[in-house]
Amino acid sequence: MKNDDQFSDFKEHSVAEFFKKNRQMLGFSGKVRSLTTIVHEYVTNSLDAAEEAKILCDVTIKLEELDKETGHYKITAEDNGSGIPENLMGKALGQMLAGTKFHRYIQQRGQQGIGAAGVTMYSQITTGKTTKVTSGYRGKIIEAKLNIDFKTNKANVEILSKEEGDWHGLIIETEVKDVKYDKSVSGVYEYLKRTAIANPHTQITFIDPNNEVHIFPRSIEKIPPKPEEVKPHPLGMATNDLMDFAHRDVNKTLNQFFFETFSRMSNSKVKELRELLPHINFKKDPKKLEWSEADDIIRAFQKIKWIAPSVDGIYPIGEEQIRTSMINILEPEFLAVIERKPKIYRGGIPFIVEVGLGYGGNSGRNSSGDVSSSDVMRFGNRAPLLFDAGGCAINESVKSVDWKRYGLKSMKDAPITLMINISSVHIPYTGAGKQAIAMEQEIVDEVRFGIMEAARKMQAHIQSVVKTKERIHKKKAILRYIHQVSEDLSYLSNIASFEIENLLSKLIEEKYDTKKDEKELEEAMQNGGITNGEN
Amino acid sequence: MEKINTLEKLNNMGKDMVGQIKKGHSPYFTTPLRSRGNIKFDKEEGVLKLGKKDEKRTFANVGQARKFMQTMAIAAKCKKFVEEELHTSIRGLYYQLKFSLGENLEEDLFSEQSESNPLIEDLEVALDVKREDFNLSTDRKGFVAGDMLIEDTFGGEKTVIDCGKQGRSGWSIPSDVDNGMKIKELNADYVLVVEKDAMWQRLNEDKYWKKQNCLLITPKGQASRGTRRLLRKLADKKLPIYVFTDCDAWGWYIYWAIKTGSMNLAYLGTEIAVPEARFIGVTMKDISDFDFLSKLTIKAKPVDIKRASEMIDYPWINRHKEWVNELKTVLRTKQKLEQDALQGPRLTFVGEYLAKKIANNDFLP
Repeated sequence: MKNDDQFSDFKEHSVAEFFKKNRQMLGFSGKVRSLTTIVHEYVTNSLDAAEEAKILCDVTIKLEELDKETGHYKITAEDNGSGIPENLMGKALGQMLAGTKFHRYIQQRGQQGIGAAGVTMYSQITTGKTTKVTSGYRGKIIEAKLNIDFKTNKANVEILSKEEGDWHGLIIETEVKDVKYDKSVSGVYEYLKRTAIANPHTQITFIDPNNEVHIFPRSIEKIPPKPEEVKPHPLGMATNDLMDFAHRDVNKTLNQFFFETFSRMSNSKVKELRELLPHINFKKDPKKLEWSEADDIIRAFQKIKWIAPSVDGIYPIGEEQIRTSMINILEPEFLAVIERKPKIYRGGIPFIVEVGLGYGGNSGRNSSGDVSSSDVMRFGNRAPLLFDAGGCAINESVKSVDWKRYGLKSMKDAPITLMINISSVHIPYTGAGKQAIAMEQEIVDEVRFGIMEAARKMQAHIQSVVKTKERIHKKKAILRYIHQVSEDLSYLSNIASFEIENLLSKLIEEKYDTKKDEKELEEAMQNGGITNGEN
Repeated sequence: MEKINTLEKLNNMGKDMVGQIKKGHSPYFTTPLRSRGNIKFDKEEGVLKLGKKDEKRTFANVGQARKFMQTMAIAAKCKKFVEEELHTSIRGLYYQLKFSLGENLEEDLFSEQSESNPLIEDLEVALDVKREDFNLSTDRKGFVAGDMLIEDTFGGEKTVIDCGKQGRSGWSIPSDVDNGMKIKELNADYVLVVEKDAMWQRLNEDKYWKKQNCLLITPKGQASRGTRRLLRKLADKKLPIYVFTDCDAWGWYIYWAIKTGSMNLAYLGTEIAVPEARFIGVTMKDISDFDFLSKLTIKAKPVDIKRASEMIDYPWINRHKEWVNELKTVLRTKQKLEQDALQGPRLTFVGEYLAKKIANNDFLP
């Protein structure tokens, strides 16, 4: 296996050194993607931190192009969170695999990527510069600059200033090379727009390299519930996850580590595991677990029959939230939001699918121009998935729907934005980049059902719009004849023409009462997205 | 009388419609369907008529609104013609109604005559009147010679026409023989209808109508509405009607249109059909009866064969076994015969032939 080869040298280097050599593993491959990854790391950190601190999050991202040729950019990320205490600054931003999110297993966005420290590292290896941090934490404002010692995977932190102040939050300024800003689907702008859609309680401000300010305003003044902590389920683990957990564990033996760390892990299951893995010493210090061992354990996990994980730890975005944010950002003519009931995949891992379908308005991609095309926004636990769309279960589902059945000649050219979020304590991503969801049949089906449910409502809407337009058209067609007909009927009956004309106009207006239709249309729109789970 | 009737019918229709509107209903009128499916042969009367299928034309239906408006425009215009005692053709009517519906409406009341023609028929059927009653005339076609006096009131003047004193040209049958037209005197034993004008001229020169005391009429091919209506009126005066045409598809068609009415004019039914008419010739039997004719036959054209085989299937034709035999002979021998062939031996032979056949009651039903 290629992975085994890659990681065979693992113990000879620090984590930082390893990632320095394999930066594509952090999402740093391709200039546009690299920049989006950097912004992603900062924004998700801000969102997760604000949620934990129960603060309505404001994030500002500023990009400055310093040199086009070398792809040299300055990135500034600012939030209004609780800041970072001085003693954790180095760990959070200058030590690989040490972010706060690794301490617990909860549904958070940060499942992807390698954290803000990865950006610090990337800045360091492309520009040789340090990253500047300003943190306002509990009345103290600290300015510092830091970089990573690759040999030890420890941060070098240099405090620049300390002062008292009420401001809380975090400002990170860093410079990187070899990146590129554009407005493509995989670019920063699209990433932030989608993040805003999935996080309506957040206000995102983006200052692009042309100094243009884009604001994605907050649409809901409600902080989402703090995710409950749940122990990870063994089936949800990947080798690197297991390594992270083991190396940070405080238990003395692997036996204890397994028992304490995972849900549904009874003594008898640990015993089963031991029997499957006779070559591994279960009394060893978890911190000394080796990559190849972790790999074997993950394989053994798949062979054991587990009780399914609990659904308690899953937090979908919520129907109202999706509705509000899609209206806020897309101003669609029609919107359907579907929240499906929890389902399970791979024999036991629960997940929830949410589908938002916006039609018309600014839905679709080139909504400002004349040509419209549909847009599929994929999310995993609220984090936008911008890359590797081709291999993603969500795209597979979109493709599998027969859109003609819902009155669309072609889904591609329709003014549609499909927003699909999959929530789970463990999302089966396809690769290290964590940008595509594996084509688990249960997930593909469930997403498909959600889309179909939304599409049915859209179809009803399109039909009623067509009907109303037809009605208006019919009425106009008849009204234009009223004058002539009244004149002739007047001549035949010797009754005054204006009298006939008035009566006839009234009659036609009543028969083709389009106000009634418009009302119906409005009602149809309002009913458009009522949540009802089962297909 | 007819005209007052027509005016009343137009007025009543207008009042009915306004009444409907006042009740909050869309104005409408019903008219029997004139499509093939609704054309029936009335065995009792021997006439092609419209069946019971009606069609409702209502203004508030977007698919019918324009036609409704156009029909009312025609009705109003016809009322005006009748009131003013002025006549025009259906093309003249079309031009009277070809105008824009309004400055900001890029639409004409009528844009093609093909739009107004069927609506005139709608109105005829809906009100049970003929277009002639609306003072709509068609081209004159058909000539009469014989002992008949016609009183013609036209353009405010009354003229008496003697059909026996029209020399070589005969009296030209107008499109309307009902309104302002009266048969004042009639002295004839029967009516002879001759398909071709040339044959009529031949018989007129022979003084056939004088010798035989009959009315000699040519429709000049297919009989016009006016000619058929005149024949109907003459049949009402108990005159036998004999029809003399070629023995071919066109000739048969002329005869049957006179006798039972045609599909196109089925809506006029008994008004225009003459079930009493008899077919005098030329027949296939004539070929054996008159030796010389066997050398004067023509090979039947595909259209004649096709027509003959179709006719055998028409219920109003195959009820007569004589016609079935006649048509079967045509299909077998694949021959046809023109009435002109009877001039073969000598020019005056036609008259002799006709007189003989009529005397012998030798005709097809």
